[in-house]
Amino acid sequence: MLNVSPRHREYETLPGLNNPAIPACAPLPQGETEDTARIVERFGDDVLAAGLHLGQQIVHIRPERLLELANFVRSDEKLAYEALTDVSAIDRSQLPIDESDARFQTVYQLRSYTRKRHLMIVCPAEDGEQPSVPSLAPVFQGAIWPEREVYDLMGIRFDGHPDPRRILMPENWPNHPLRKDMPVGGEPVPFSLTWEDPEFETLGTQILPAESIAPTVPPGMSREHMIVNMGPHHPSTHGVLRLVVELDGEDVLGVDADLGYLHSGFEKTGENKRYKDFVYYTDRMDYLSAMSNNLGYCLAVEKLLGIDVPERAQVIRVIMVELQRIASHLFWLSTHVLDISGTGMSLLMYATLERERILDLFEMVAGARLTISYIRIGGVWKDLPSAFMPRLQDVINILPGKFDEYEAMLTAGPLWQERLEGIGYLSREDAINMGLTGPMLRGSGVDWDLRRDMPYGGYENYDFDVPISTLGDCYGRYVIRMEEMRQSVRIIKQAMANLPDGLYRTDNRKVSLPPRAELDVSMEALIHHFKLMTEGFQVPPGMVYHAIEASKGELGFFVYSDGSAKPYRLHVRGPSFNNLFAISKMCRGNMLSDIVANIGSIDIVLGEVDR
Amino acid sequence: MGLEDKLPEGIVTAKLEDLVNWSRENSTWPLLFGLACCAIEMIATGTARHDIARYGSELFRASPRQADLMIVSGRVSNKMAPVIKRLHDQMLEPKWVIAMGICASAGGPFNNYAIIQGVDKIIPVDVYVPGCPPRPEALLYAMDKLREKQGRETFAMRRRDDLAAAMVAPADIESLTGLRKRQPA
Repeated sequence: MLNVSPRHREYETLPGLNNPAIPACAPLPQGETEDTARIVERFGDDVLAAGLHLGQQIVHIRPERLLELANFVRSDEKLAYEALTDVSAIDRSQLPIDESDARFQTVYQLRSYTRKRHLMIVCPAEDGEQPSVPSLAPVFQGAIWPEREVYDLMGIRFDGHPDPRRILMPENWPNHPLRKDMPVGGEPVPFSLTWEDPEFETLGTQILPAESIAPTVPPGMSREHMIVNMGPHHPSTHGVLRLVVELDGEDVLGVDADLGYLHSGFEKTGENKRYKDFVYYTDRMDYLSAMSNNLGYCLAVEKLLGIDVPERAQVIRVIMVELQRIASHLFWLSTHVLDISGTGMSLLMYATLERERILDLFEMVAGARLTISYIRIGGVWKDLPSAFMPRLQDVINILPGKFDEYEAMLTAGPLWQERLEGIGYLSREDAINMGLTGPMLRGSGVDWDLRRDMPYGGYENYDFDVPISTLGDCYGRYVIRMEEMRQSVRIIKQAMANLPDGLYRTDNRKVSLPPRAELDVSMEALIHHFKLMTEGFQVPPGMVYHAIEASKGELGFFVYSDGSAKPYRLHVRGPSFNNLFAISKMCRGNMLSDIVANIGSIDIVLGEVDR
Repeated sequence: MGLEDKLPEGIVTAKLEDLVNWSRENSTWPLLFGLACCAIEMIATGTARHDIARYGSELFRASPRQADLMIVSGRVSNKMAPVIKRLHDQMLEPKWVIAMGICASAGGPFNNYAIIQGVDKIIPVDVYVPGCPPRPEALLYAMDKLREKQGRETFAMRRRDDLAAAMVAPADIESLTGLRKRQPA
């Protein structure tokens, strides 16, 4: 019987050829910077290691002083790391570590908006019955949800956490799936079985064990008030989000978000796929901006590999990502209007027409509309077809006029203003402390855009404005997104004018496939092709966090390589996930009907929230 | 010959079954219900360019009580499965299901702990649409296939006794394990 189920298929090299240097731990940071020196000076021997690794500032700290360090880097004027943007963890049980070393490490990403710096803090968890580290929630509200996620998926307890519940998996799930001793799960592929196989008898009757839980009142809510369940099947939650709303009359007293209805195990899957094979999965995370996700992942892996991307590929990437931003914002606009006005079906019809034009362009270059996978590690999949540029020019000529048209329908409209102004207010301090990013952050008056402030992928060569609003409400965020679309058009125009000739993908054959024509004439090309298709490429040990400004905010990829062809740890910082944390704060004090406006204003995609 | 010759103008005869099927085919209201990437293509099918209104299915109903068709548009996670089962049970007969995309059909690329390998493990499926995600045209083709199926239905296929055997007690909807127990040994 032929059995090619993914559980049994091994991508590794033959046993005799295994490299003894794999797996390896990521090297410790070397050297020092101004910031790490200041931290070492203060914390002395409790800093286990500090310095630079792949251009990133990393500090390893003992768990006893983690909370103190977080307080210090936040409040110290010379450091001023105001925001915690991400928390993740590594299970090192399959790495060659000493027995005295902790099995788990938690990794924190901190950001200074005033100084435009990034800091990564690594903290070993104290082993024991259940590994634990102190919670950073007292310092950063933005740690609350990410720490719950780490607890849920990795089983690390956060001491002092205000709300230590699971967040993605069902409450009664028996294990912590991201631990290395947990299997990927799933089922063998049925198509590989023969009719004689006994497994056929069970096909169609197997149901995975997943009890639904009797609804309980979330902590902090009182049965004295009316408690309303919204979702996971609700037309205005943009997917399968469930909100439990505590009401006094029509006033919202509290909102508790229940996530995980679309949890798809992206991170676990990624840790069992070769680097190049995960690009296709990134499409399916934020499926409204697939190109941005491709780019974020590819940049992170390229940073680990240390390869350069040709100039032409970079410009093509910028064009695609900005087109994707417009498409995503158009879809946001159409659904937002539909939610708020109830009868605003017309804008859904108009704006999606423009979106379809952009999807046509994607189809032209990659053959797909939604899950595109056009941006690959080392460049892009194929060169632009000759008919692309004229079509792009057509679309670019049309778009600004259409934006004006939509704005004429909405911006000054009394109904539109009435529904959005003053709704979902977030102060500047809250927005920073909650770790919000993207239009949510800019809507509260923080002048921050990764494209401009920490440029990646050639964004330093473009001239564009970053719209900000000090209103802090849904209307401010609406204005920002409309302006962002115009700025994207501006960037695309500059990119079109400066599109250089040359390679569209790196010619480093260790990473990118040789062209088909070369296979017929070059044995070397054939070998490269064979190696890449069977084994993939090996990535030097290291750990990297790379963030880009996706349409919804900061999309970060944390990749830990052990030197093999698969990521040892892959973590995604989805902007929607962290932004959605604000829903509770935004809705409190508003009316029930404003919840819909707030959800729309955050612009969530559940694929990315739940991952 | 025949009845038509004797009837005044404007009256035609037909089998009641055909008439009922004809009306069901041309006005199948889907449940307003999206899961993942495929939901975006489902929305695209509903908008101006692809215009699902040509099939009489433009009215996406938010309540399962008013919907005839469930389009399972995306991957079904362990946490979502009981909800989908409950929604399907709340829909009134006759009801149909389209499994849109490879995830809903067979799990697709997500062969892991979180995703149920095909929605047909929890509810019966009438039409499977391949694709990741299927293009709007593919969903429209699936609607065509569904119409064909609806056109062939007979009243006998929806006998009360047969339906009752397929019904699930409300207590069992609470848990998937309960459903599994009901599976024939």
